[in-house]
Amino acid sequence: MKGRRYLAVHLPFWAAEHLRQARPDLPADQPLALWARQGARRLLAALDHHAAAAGLEPGQALADAEALLPELQVLPAQPEASAAGLRDLALWAQRFTPISAALPPDGLLLDITGCDHLFGGEAPLLASLISALAKTGLSAQGAIASAAASAMALARVRRDAPIIQPGAEEKAVAPLPLGPALRLPGAMLEDLARLGLRVIGDVLRQPRAPLARRFGAPLLDALDAATGRRAPPITPIAAPPDLAVTRALPEPILTAEAIAALLDRLLAALCARLSRAGLGARRLCLTAWRVDGTEQRLMIGTGAPNRDPAHLARLFAEPLTSLAPELGFERFTLHALATDPMGAEGQGALPMGAAPRPDGVLAQLLDRLGQRLRLARPAPLPSHWPERQWRAAAPHEAPSPTPPGWGARAAPVLLRRRPEAVQVTAFAEGAPAALRWRGRHYALTRAEGPLRLEAEWWHGGALPPARDYHRVQLASGERLWLCHADGRWVVQGDLP
Amino acid sequence: MTADTPSPPRSAALARLRDTLAGLTARAPGGAASAPIPVFADTSLIGAGLARGALHEVCAASPGSGVAFAAILLARCGGQVLWIATEQESNLVWPPGLLPFGLAPDKLILARAARWPEALWAMEEALRCPALGAAVLMAGSGQGLDLTATRRLHLAAEAGGVFGLLLRPEGAAGASAARTRWHIAPLASADAPRWRLSLLRQRGGAPAGPWQVAFNAATNTLHLEAGGG
Repeated sequence: MKGRRYLAVHLPFWAAEHLRQARPDLPADQPLALWARQGARRLLAALDHHAAAAGLEPGQALADAEALLPELQVLPAQPEASAAGLRDLALWAQRFTPISAALPPDGLLLDITGCDHLFGGEAPLLASLISALAKTGLSAQGAIASAAASAMALARVRRDAPIIQPGAEEKAVAPLPLGPALRLPGAMLEDLARLGLRVIGDVLRQPRAPLARRFGAPLLDALDAATGRRAPPITPIAAPPDLAVTRALPEPILTAEAIAALLDRLLAALCARLSRAGLGARRLCLTAWRVDGTEQRLMIGTGAPNRDPAHLARLFAEPLTSLAPELGFERFTLHALATDPMGAEGQGALPMGAAPRPDGVLAQLLDRLGQRLRLARPAPLPSHWPERQWRAAAPHEAPSPTPPGWGARAAPVLLRRRPEAVQVTAFAEGAPAALRWRGRHYALTRAEGPLRLEAEWWHGGALPPARDYHRVQLASGERLWLCHADGRWVVQGDLP
Repeated sequence: MTADTPSPPRSAALARLRDTLAGLTARAPGGAASAPIPVFADTSLIGAGLARGALHEVCAASPGSGVAFAAILLARCGGQVLWIATEQESNLVWPPGLLPFGLAPDKLILARAARWPEALWAMEEALRCPALGAAVLMAGSGQGLDLTATRRLHLAAEAGGVFGLLLRPEGAAGASAARTRWHIAPLASADAPRWRLSLLRQRGGAPAGPWQVAFNAATNTLHLEAGGG
């Protein structure tokens, strides 16, 4: 019986080559190195093949490397981007097999059981994979074996694309050096080297019990996986759900009713997919292709994940009027650009003690208004500095609790968007007694203050000057909130 | 079994159930949710209060007093409050200052429209939405708010059962379909704000006031001062 077959790909210069794909402006014939900060030092994290050929090594200090190789181009490493790129590459590899996995930082693993005949056998499959990668500028080494870890160990060391027949794994991996093949920790490698054990075969010949006592389970696990005695599970990558629906029309349509009816059908199809995937749409894009080959795009956004076709259709109602059909549209695509997880309908359990998020009718109203207005929910912040007393939170967020003491100070009910300059023309006992404001003189019947506010130094940055606030009342009864800072007087708000 | 079950207990149970049901249905759409919004504790002045599901106007001699009075009324609605203003408005509503008047920030949603027609549209949409407690629109002096526009808003408020409030500056009095129009002006005060409040117009009623009132934050009431009127 033939067991499973695995194809492993090792991308020795993945991080650097991935970055180069994104930055075609980098000269291709000059060595490239990526660095990462470790404490205060900047160390090389990844190299391309030019830099590796010049003798640089990962872990070297960046300054040393630049001294050795003056033409070296250096860029900061982007581990997240490169891990995400590797996942994308694993998804791409699903053109060869339905089961593929990304092995960060630089490996791909494909379960090719039963797939090789589609490509004319294992060797042609491996060759076509490697050459496809090479076309995009990625150096890759591959291997095929009946155990995932054996294939990976072989791919990391051997450049001749070995294909190991079932049962021959142990013999094949025996001559491989321990360090590159098994990715063992540095300290363990040094200990093994001190015992004269440098290749996998050396370790395999040792009695297991003392090895386990000396080096613990990780070494034996790695060995067993590499020889195929034990097969740890692999975690295949799952393709994200396809959240785009397209309708091609036999006859172009151009009336608003026809477009709206088609949109309803698209929304119904998309919402069914969202429902299966347990998602709700946050941003939708409708692309309409006109008969003359141009395309028009409409976008809508929702504040909370939503998959109610009727609601989404209402949000599209306004943007739909901006479509210019001319001779008609022949093709429409509706694509959910952003989604959030969304439970089954009616699953409205409230977290204890927390105010509920707006849902149902209110959320739909906020979505509709949010297409044309800027909405915000004031979220109180624990601060005495006026500008920091609240922030504008998203209207769909659950309201935040009010900190104790917040708003207790006699505060203005309206704040000037831009403070209004005012001249204080007379003082009585240090407090303003008369104003010149908007070109007129006002006698003040009452003035309270000053209330001195110091800037909050713990936020860092340049500190604004301290402010003195005065609450003054004009003869008309109107009450203003005056601010005196840095020698300037301004009206900052209206008191009730 | 049907034959020997005595009928009187069963009909009594049915009647009890019907009573319960009637109580439930009466309370859900009506009841507390549709009770008028009290302005004064003393109901002899203007009756029980301002009707929900209707449009009301507040004309303010100073911007601060109008906003404070609006906050008092909106806080008494219960439910979420949508506060609509245009980008041209030079003043921003300041939530910390509204809390002393009973309007907590978790009840408040602020909306800013780029242009006046959008603000009007948003107000109408909001008034049609029964999930909202109240909606308030800050109208500047130069903004077109004629009889037709206010009638539209009033009809929307009737449809949604939402308390609608227009905040207008003092001089901007034209024809309006609002149920009531209030005028508020600040008075000299030592500590708590004092206002002169008058009911300029009310549909199906006589104008009333002016009253001299002060707001007591501790009891959340508008006090009538002795010398007023």
